[in-house]
Amino acid sequence: MKTPRIMTWVAAAAATSLLLTACSAGASDSGDAEQKDSMTIAFTAEPVNLDFTSTSGVAIPEALMENVYESLVRLDDEGEIQPGLAEDWSLSDDRRTYTFDLREGVKFSNGADLTSEDVKFSYERVQDEWKNELKSKMDIVESIETPDETTVEIELKKPSNTWLFNLTSLVGAVFDTEGTTDLANEAIGTGPFTIEKFTRGQSIEFAARDDYWGEQPALDSVEFKYFKDAVSASNALKSGEIDLVSNLQAPELAGEFQSDDYQIVSGTTNGEVVLSMNNAEGIFEDKTAREAVMHAIDRKAVLDTAWAGYGELIGSMVPPTDPYYEDLTGVWKYDPDKAEELVDEAGIEGEEFTFTVPNLPYAKAISEIVSAQLEEVGLKANIKTQEFPAVWLDKTFTEHDFDMSVINHAEPRDILTVFSKDYYIGYDDSKIKKIAEKADTGTEEDYIAGMKEIARTITDDAASDFLFLFPNLVLAKSDIAGIPANRVSDAFRIADLSWN
Amino acid sequence: MLTYAISRATQFALSLIVASVVVFALMSLLPGNAAQVALGTNATPEAVAALEAQYGLDRPPAIRYFDWMIGMAGGDFGTSYVTGAEITPVIVDSVQVTAILVISAIVLSILIAVPLGTFAAVEHRTWIGVTISAASQIGIAIPNFLAAIILVIIFSLTLGWFPSQGWMAPVEGVGGFLLRLVLPVVSLALVQAAILTRYVRSAVLDVMREDFIRTARAKGLTRTKALFAHGLRNAAIPVITVAGVQLATLLVGAVIIEQIFVLPGIGSELIRAVANRDLIAVQGIVMVLVLLVLIINLIVDVLVPVVDPRIRNAA
Amino acid sequence: MSDSPTGAHSPRDLADVEAPGPTVPARATDTGPGRSKLRLNASMAIGGGLVVLIVGLALVSFLWTPYGPSDIDPIARLQSASPAHPLGTDKFGRDTLTWVMYGARITLLVGVVAVGIALLIGTPIGIIAAIFAKQPWGVWIDAVIMRANDILLAFPALLLAIIFAAVYSPGTGPAMVAVGIAAIPGFARVARSGTLQVLGSEYVRAARAANRRTPAIAVVHVLPNIAGMVIVQASVAFAISVLAEAGLSFLGLGTQAPVPSWGRMLQESQQFLSTHPELALWPGLFIALAVLGFNLLGDGLRDRFDPKMEARGV
Repeated sequence: MKTPRIMTWVAAAAATSLLLTACSAGASDSGDAEQKDSMTIAFTAEPVNLDFTSTSGVAIPEALMENVYESLVRLDDEGEIQPGLAEDWSLSDDRRTYTFDLREGVKFSNGADLTSEDVKFSYERVQDEWKNELKSKMDIVESIETPDETTVEIELKKPSNTWLFNLTSLVGAVFDTEGTTDLANEAIGTGPFTIEKFTRGQSIEFAARDDYWGEQPALDSVEFKYFKDAVSASNALKSGEIDLVSNLQAPELAGEFQSDDYQIVSGTTNGEVVLSMNNAEGIFEDKTAREAVMHAIDRKAVLDTAWAGYGELIGSMVPPTDPYYEDLTGVWKYDPDKAEELVDEAGIEGEEFTFTVPNLPYAKAISEIVSAQLEEVGLKANIKTQEFPAVWLDKTFTEHDFDMSVINHAEPRDILTVFSKDYYIGYDDSKIKKIAEKADTGTEEDYIAGMKEIARTITDDAASDFLFLFPNLVLAKSDIAGIPANRVSDAFRIADLSWN
Repeated sequence: MLTYAISRATQFALSLIVASVVVFALMSLLPGNAAQVALGTNATPEAVAALEAQYGLDRPPAIRYFDWMIGMAGGDFGTSYVTGAEITPVIVDSVQVTAILVISAIVLSILIAVPLGTFAAVEHRTWIGVTISAASQIGIAIPNFLAAIILVIIFSLTLGWFPSQGWMAPVEGVGGFLLRLVLPVVSLALVQAAILTRYVRSAVLDVMREDFIRTARAKGLTRTKALFAHGLRNAAIPVITVAGVQLATLLVGAVIIEQIFVLPGIGSELIRAVANRDLIAVQGIVMVLVLLVLIINLIVDVLVPVVDPRIRNAA
Repeated sequence: MSDSPTGAHSPRDLADVEAPGPTVPARATDTGPGRSKLRLNASMAIGGGLVVLIVGLALVSFLWTPYGPSDIDPIARLQSASPAHPLGTDKFGRDTLTWVMYGARITLLVGVVAVGIALLIGTPIGIIAAIFAKQPWGVWIDAVIMRANDILLAFPALLLAIIFAAVYSPGTGPAMVAVGIAAIPGFARVARSGTLQVLGSEYVRAARAANRRTPAIAVVHVLPNIAGMVIVQASVAFAISVLAEAGLSFLGLGTQAPVPSWGRMLQESQQFLSTHPELALWPGLFIALAVLGFNLLGDGLRDRFDPKMEARGV
């Protein structure tokens, strides 16, 4: 009995030491063997599948748009529309028909040639087959004609200034007529990369194509890794397991990367962080009550504490990269005394209201300081944390069971969507509807003037508090080039990235 | 022994059925609508209703339950509402990750706790024994996620010995696999070892008081030799039962460690499925976890009489 | 059934408690009466002292804290220890000492409610099961109760908490109920085996002979005799619930903003570990002290109560 027992112990000790040696031996070759044609990038929101035609959310277009799928047009970093698969385009005099000239020699990753037929197929499919409700952006299309293989004529029901811009988003993605059989698992596009491997919940591996129509990307292979937790992502960057963090969700960590080994890129996004108030019913149906909130919030303090000062104060639903941007931060000044007066006037002192908070890092942090600031003027927020997306979408967004909430509205040019009557905020859009109609169908000058007026009206109505513009905060190793400062579209372009 | 085996097996099957009803009932209470989540912020009510019909969410609960049970009996956990993918492979993959993590942690904690606890018992009158006892008390009091955070800071971010996160399947490279396993396993094992050390110590102390050890010592064996010869077999019982319970607890308990180290384990899948309101996936994962716990309990119940002659004779 | 009515109901009895602190059969006493007493006092003194400290913090927080828990001060954010803020401030400029004091409340609240649920449901279940086990016609009832108990064991606290958080949205309430329910089997086991021992003892047989009815026996003899074991169990379960609350809050499934909790403080301190490690130190330290306190107290109590059981001839 004695011998086997001791043998077990010896074996155990041996196994342990073996494990430890194996580890220390392996540790040395982990970080430094850097391959300069590959890159690993950390993201937060993970795609549940590869099909944005049926699944909503930012994760899928972030990975696929401009990397795998391309549209006729695209946005550059300044938010200007640039040629994509269309080399050139023209607009008819009645401003209703766009004629696109397609590039020649464009191939899908399955080998098929891009033809006007593919464009017609893809865009009609948006209206017929898509389940993603962004498909409504294509509702305005009347007909699509293909006079020849490289020409597409798209006629709109009425003139629209926003449609071409909308085409830069995922609804503009061009699919192969034969390439939509298994969209959830297989992405066939014209872009510079193909998907080599998709591990659900963990990573996507991209491989560069050698038959891409445009400039060959500098990187051969790129891996997107998904981190729910920003601290894990930042740790992974520090220990060299990843090369870039695409959008840091814990901005306080950025301070640790202020060294020569790293670069911190902080730009803008299309995401307005909105302290939304239920305009249709409850305590904030009363404009005075909403005004009290507008004066009670010290947005600078919110930005400085909740998001470490990264981001921009905007004062309206328009990011500075949009053509109709106007600085409206002065409309509602932080003035707790005024706020208290308004609370008295509205007769809502001490009245409890429901503040639903999605369980996202920025929203949770904001809720803490906002509720404290509201408390100081006599407004009592009853915070209810809701899981995002499931519960928040169900309770707050769909059932409108909330008085106040906070969310980053990340869609580009979403002011008219968010402030339409049926949206969860329940804004009375009767005043802006006419202006919007005129702006969209008018000239570009009319458009800009009209949209400015709309933004101002919404801010003046104290429809909701625009806390700040969500920053595009990128952490990366210092020898990476081509990181765009601003995130103006739903795509994260990897073709521009390279190692110095 | 045969009647024992039969009754234990019946009990196991009954438990499983009752548990499945409980799980199903709990899931039916879940707020949040899978169809709404899949369609997102821009969905119309009609689209949501259509998708619900497609998932079969509009059928009566009893039918959904039997559908689910029949599928599971054949190893098919159904298709996810959210990802549109089969759930069975997701569960199989993630259970493997968690099993590797948790079993390694338990084995490591046994390797630490058995010698340490025995030593602490033998030396219980000296300062070393007291120190071990005190250290194990403190070890129990430290949450494992705190241990994990500290280990990452020291061994990954400062010393750079191990990666701070991530998972690599053994087939992709054994070195990378082991390397990534060290910190999560150690984080789990340290706390478990502290718990186990205390059980081993008190079990060995009890054994030391038993007659047969005294007899053995009277026959001239040293205390340590007597203990090795006779005592450890008896001390093994609490180790098996406690390790069994720890294993069962850690299957879900490891979720915090999985999150910190970004490991695609079953706990992380559960959290993800809950967040996505992926009802059918949540049901399946919870059921698998419950099944595993019941199996572990069964194994412990079978193993203990094998090891312990006293219980064997009693049963 | 495999159960012998003597209390060795299944080998798993040894591991009634999910985590720290050996239960019934494994006694943590040292040999030698003098030493045992000394250690016993040490465990109880340290454990009791720590528990008093935590309870004291919570009680004082009702009367006085240096600041309010939602007193934000963006200018004084992330400060180190100073006379104005003895433990520093967090990212909103809130006073850490105030938060530690308020956090003690949640920790104790979760512990009291969770242990209360487990104790008030588990103990009667165990006693009833034991009483039925003693009746020739009632053995099957005991078996059913204990099987149900086993099934409950298959749902660990964290699993229940995740499900509850999903059903009722995350919060302190669902978390403590989940932890409480998961702890029921432990109390049922302890109460059952204790009751079986008591019912088998001489003086209960005497009471029966004197024609006292079973409920009366249960109240008069069983409760006082198993109280010690139940209190020990409660102390250990309390320690587990402290860890569970911290873990759940860390995962975001426990206490929610803006309520101060140690687990939440620890979670939020993560992004400051390199720059302001003290933000993690304080909540981490107090979690550990609370767990240590309740575990040591449980140990001390066990040493106190077990001999008493023997002395009474149970």
